[in-house]
Amino acid sequence: MRFPIVGAIYQKEMLDLIRDRRTLISMLFVPTLLIPMLFSVGTRLVSRMQTKAEEEAKSMAVGVKVSPSLREALEKAGIQIVENDNLKDAVLAKTIAVGVEEIAGTPVEVQIYVDNSNPTSSAAAARVRLALDDFKDEKVRESLRGSGIPANVLTPFVVTRTNIAGARKMAGMAWGSILGYLLLLMMFTGGMYPIIDMTAGEKERKTIEALLASPATRNEIVLGKNLAAVTAILITAMLTLGSMVYSLKNSSMSSKVPEAQEIMRTIPLDVHSVTLIAATLVPFAMFEASLMFAIALFARSYKEGQSYLMPLLILVIFPALMGGLSGLKMTPLLCMIPIFNASQMIRGILTGDASTANFAIMTAANLAYAGVAFMIATRQFENENVLFRS
Amino acid sequence: MIQVTGLSKTFQDSKRGTRLAVDDVSFEVRAGEVFGLLGPNGAGKTTTLRMLATLLKPTSGTAVLNGFDITREPQKVREQIGFLSGDMGLYGRLTPLEILDFFGKLNGMDAARRAGRIKMLATMLDMQSFMGVRTDKLSTGMKQKTAIARTMLHDPAVLILDEPTSGLDVPTAQAIETAIVDGKKAGKCVLYSTHVMEEAEYLCDRIGVISGGKMKMIGTMEELRAATGKQRLREIFLDLLEA
Repeated sequence: MRFPIVGAIYQKEMLDLIRDRRTLISMLFVPTLLIPMLFSVGTRLVSRMQTKAEEEAKSMAVGVKVSPSLREALEKAGIQIVENDNLKDAVLAKTIAVGVEEIAGTPVEVQIYVDNSNPTSSAAAARVRLALDDFKDEKVRESLRGSGIPANVLTPFVVTRTNIAGARKMAGMAWGSILGYLLLLMMFTGGMYPIIDMTAGEKERKTIEALLASPATRNEIVLGKNLAAVTAILITAMLTLGSMVYSLKNSSMSSKVPEAQEIMRTIPLDVHSVTLIAATLVPFAMFEASLMFAIALFARSYKEGQSYLMPLLILVIFPALMGGLSGLKMTPLLCMIPIFNASQMIRGILTGDASTANFAIMTAANLAYAGVAFMIATRQFENENVLFRS
Repeated sequence: MIQVTGLSKTFQDSKRGTRLAVDDVSFEVRAGEVFGLLGPNGAGKTTTLRMLATLLKPTSGTAVLNGFDITREPQKVREQIGFLSGDMGLYGRLTPLEILDFFGKLNGMDAARRAGRIKMLATMLDMQSFMGVRTDKLSTGMKQKTAIARTMLHDPAVLILDEPTSGLDVPTAQAIETAIVDGKKAGKCVLYSTHVMEEAEYLCDRIGVISGGKMKMIGTMEELRAATGKQRLREIFLDLLEA
């Protein structure tokens, strides 16, 4: 193995990649522009929809078939009331937000008719529920006063719930559920086009013969190309990470909940975490590059290469998503499952739960997979039936 | 020099079954000689050249190029040869200068030698005006000059050229023929495949006619004329194909 030749091949591939429009789009444009744009548009849309639902819930009337006292309680809570005989139909027709019906019996039943598929109806039902609960509490206190019983018999003890996880851990859980998945997915899309270009693309453009007829060995060629692919993949990963941090920090999703706002503000990415994430991604990138290389090399053309690699992309989604789920405990066995292990480790790094032993197992497993995939890729590159398949 | 002995190549095709592309071909090319390989489409010329360039493994037989066997020492063989395939095979997003520099590095040339050889070849093939232009923007003639320069960059002892003047205008073809003649005068061993009969008559010291994977005849123009009774190479060629 002559590293100057590997270096020459690496340099040439990198030069070729940065001049390829498709690669630039998948490697640079998508992570740096598309993700922030989607976040911005998406969060604005959600925020706007939420606000609109709440405002409509306030302004839209509530249909009632209730006693005067209940009606008075609802009006006192600021809810606009209309009488309506066909409450269910009216809710479905959106002429009223919700319907409230008092049904005689022991005890009296107050039925709230809500269309949960309509955010306005759900928000209005919550307001009505609050108003009815207040009215119910008032009625109970009145009854107790009348009987000479103090109202505090209703609360023999108070239950409070304190989250001791801390802002960083909560942020880690929130970020961990999506960051690993998005990073791994973007790494695949970022690496796919460069790798197809270096393999099936070279075959299609017929540039591969001159390279094979040169003194560079097959191993040197595969290693040089692989290193360029790994570089492209890692650049995509870092840009994705950076743009996600930027997008979430500047997100206009104005959550009303202080804890959610705290999570958005707290980014669990210090130097230590970033270093560990990078150390997680490097062996994974090597495995991914070799695997895609071996598959794409079999294709005769760029288009065929895409059709071979797209199913692989779909196979990535499920384990990457599963790895980000909270509640799954990291075990040595799980640390050996490719793709899943990287996603789970990233979540563990962000929540502070990753152990050194599991990290070592995951790294060793991914390096082993990378080695096997590299050997397969090299074997493919020595097979004239693959190289000159037509 | 090139010594080819009983070279055969069989391809397995799922639809067409077994196909014998090259059948027991033998010939030799001496140093300072241009050997022309002529044949119709599908005769086995390109397959033969690819085997000699170690891109394909022979099914049987072997060849020795400059003292190295293609089956036992393919790596050493590649260090001796400059191979030009029928498709120019240039990287469209790189310039001729970048391509030549890259292949110079692959051939283990240091920076000074690369620069010297690139300058010399650029002058010889009149490439100075487009050395810094991306290859996908070049004309066919410019691309072929770049491909020839790449083939000769490391000053190989053996040149294997598959239809080097195909599709070129007369001045460009002339420049390439001149480069080949210069190579021959420098003592290189040139194996040359072409469809252009006039070119073969002009350039080649000896000609081998291949058809259906088999070598029909090898000889100088005089020997071929004597054997077939025909004068022009086109007539000789057609006569041998019918035989």
